[in-house]
Amino acid sequence: MSFLMDNLPMFLIAIPLLMAPVTILTKGNPGLQKAIDIVVGFVLLCLSVLLITTVWNNGIIAYDVGEFGKYGIVLVADLLSAGMVLLNCSIGFLGLIYSYDYIEDHSLNQTYHTLYNLMLAGINGIFLTGDIFNMFVFFEIMLLSSAALIVANETSKVTKISDKMEATMKYLVLNILGGNVMLIAVTSLYASIGSLNIADITLKIRMLAETGAVPWHLYAVGLLFIIVFGGKAAMFPLHYWLPDVHPTAPSPISAMLSGVIIKIGAYGILRVLFMMFAPFQAVYGPVILFTALVTLALGATSAVGQSDVKRMLAYSSVSQIGYIFLGFGMAAMANVAGETEAATLILAASVVYMINHALAKSMLFLTSGGIIHTADTRDMRQMGGMINKAPMMGAAFLVGAMSIGGVPPMGGFISKFMLFDAGLRAQFYLPIGIALIFAIFTLFYMFRGWMLIFWGERDAQYGEYSHHKLSPLIVVPILLLAAVVLIVGLYPEPVVQFSQTIASQIIDPQPYIDEVMVRVIR
Amino acid sequence: MNNFFLELTIALLFGIGTFLVLRRDMMKVIIGFGIISHAINLYIVGGGVFTNGTLVPILEHEQAVEGLGQGLIYNDNLTAGILGPITTNPYTEFVDPLVQALVLTAIVIGLATTAFVLTLCYRVNEEYGTIDVQELRRLRE
Repeated sequence: MSFLMDNLPMFLIAIPLLMAPVTILTKGNPGLQKAIDIVVGFVLLCLSVLLITTVWNNGIIAYDVGEFGKYGIVLVADLLSAGMVLLNCSIGFLGLIYSYDYIEDHSLNQTYHTLYNLMLAGINGIFLTGDIFNMFVFFEIMLLSSAALIVANETSKVTKISDKMEATMKYLVLNILGGNVMLIAVTSLYASIGSLNIADITLKIRMLAETGAVPWHLYAVGLLFIIVFGGKAAMFPLHYWLPDVHPTAPSPISAMLSGVIIKIGAYGILRVLFMMFAPFQAVYGPVILFTALVTLALGATSAVGQSDVKRMLAYSSVSQIGYIFLGFGMAAMANVAGETEAATLILAASVVYMINHALAKSMLFLTSGGIIHTADTRDMRQMGGMINKAPMMGAAFLVGAMSIGGVPPMGGFISKFMLFDAGLRAQFYLPIGIALIFAIFTLFYMFRGWMLIFWGERDAQYGEYSHHKLSPLIVVPILLLAAVVLIVGLYPEPVVQFSQTIASQIIDPQPYIDEVMVRVIR
Repeated sequence: MNNFFLELTIALLFGIGTFLVLRRDMMKVIIGFGIISHAINLYIVGGGVFTNGTLVPILEHEQAVEGLGQGLIYNDNLTAGILGPITTNPYTEFVDPLVQALVLTAIVIGLATTAFVLTLCYRVNEEYGTIDVQELRRLRE
């Protein structure tokens, strides 16, 4: 047991990474492959729960991979990382169960399990690593595996394979460019600071800023990092790939992409803005705030006009990422102005927003898979009256729509309320005003979608709905996620308290730095 | 990094790569990415040459212990303005081995992504019969 507890962060990365080749070797035996993968998913879920309870009770865990102290690779699990890992493992597990029925058998039995394991390993690695170059490596693992998963075939042939190819090409090209930019930034940082460890970089840049000797190019390096992470999270000038990629991916992968993978960008921005480049907040804060406002406006207005259900959800993801980044920008500006308490509140609201969006949006994407399964099309104009055929999907979609739209008693209401409340307290009247207007847009497009799909009658020319009943493998993950969204809305205190602790850890990263920097060379 | 020709090479490679990435032909875009990643590899290696006394951070155990007596400082002392690892010995030139490890990793990752993108490009050609980006957009609509 103590071996397990000592190496907990490593297990979360190593288990899926090692099981990926095992699932290749068992390719001839699909049943075994599925069994292995479901066990891996479940073990990961248990381990991530264990990790978050350990971190919550005993504080930050730092784990040396090599023997070189801060010069080697360090895995660090603070509350933010542990929370994101839990989110990844739980959504990943539900998505895995879902994909057993949703993905076409041929695709499923070839490489799906291997790639899924690699993707989970990559995402866990990104969240847990305390080394900026190692983060790049995990980025690429995640990128390649998720890009290959987008091309996987669904049972219902709604999305043409050629569309998938084209979207994947777009995703890959943009993200390879992002990876290259990140490599440039990492190298420049290493050449000028002499360290790749996040805690060490934080300390050194802080020291340089205090002595007033910051080299000017560090500002540019920080901006490069913001571009990279912003590109992953679909921030305004780099958002155009998302509405093509997320809809064409099979639904469980869309859920992972929209629920977890774009949060990687948000996580990276938190690390850049509040840890590594914390002294430059005065420069980066307004940039983030402005792009966030544009992002949320653009996403919301584009989502209004969509007729494709998954495309609408994808544009909604763009808009919601804008809200999350709005919180980051406001928190940075409040922090610069010396209002640490207000900054903590705003950041806590942003973290709650991240959690709620991850839950609700992945649930909505899974539901959209069920809807597509029933209607055999992605066009909402060709649906209607589905409430008689699939009442369960209707209820789940309504829960998700209410959560994204910010209607009580769903989780989304709590996050929007906290964000607007904290923003108004810190006197960001104009940004909050703009955000409020587009919150109404959000409400409009989500309910427009719900009414188009579930109310009214289906036009006879589009034929009957499928008579297949949805299998429990599809229904159960959706219902579980819907229940969580509802519970977070009805009883938000634990999540709020958890997010406030995360926010105070982010605003004051000293415990993180202390935990990493006490490690000397063995 | 104070070698003029190295800088010029890196700049040229970046320029050529960017030019190719902006082409319409998908194949040229991929080649452009290859060239850009090589430019970055050179940049990484170039970042490892120091002439200002920053020391190799990875040593054998004996050397490290020996080095402690010879003015090697591994840990930071922020009040004294020391960012480890540094040496007070009058060494003139060092090469950082870490960047070479980084560049190996970067090369391997570049290989994997290039292989993947090339396969995808081939499949796109099979599906659409063209790899011209503008043709693709026309065919989709």
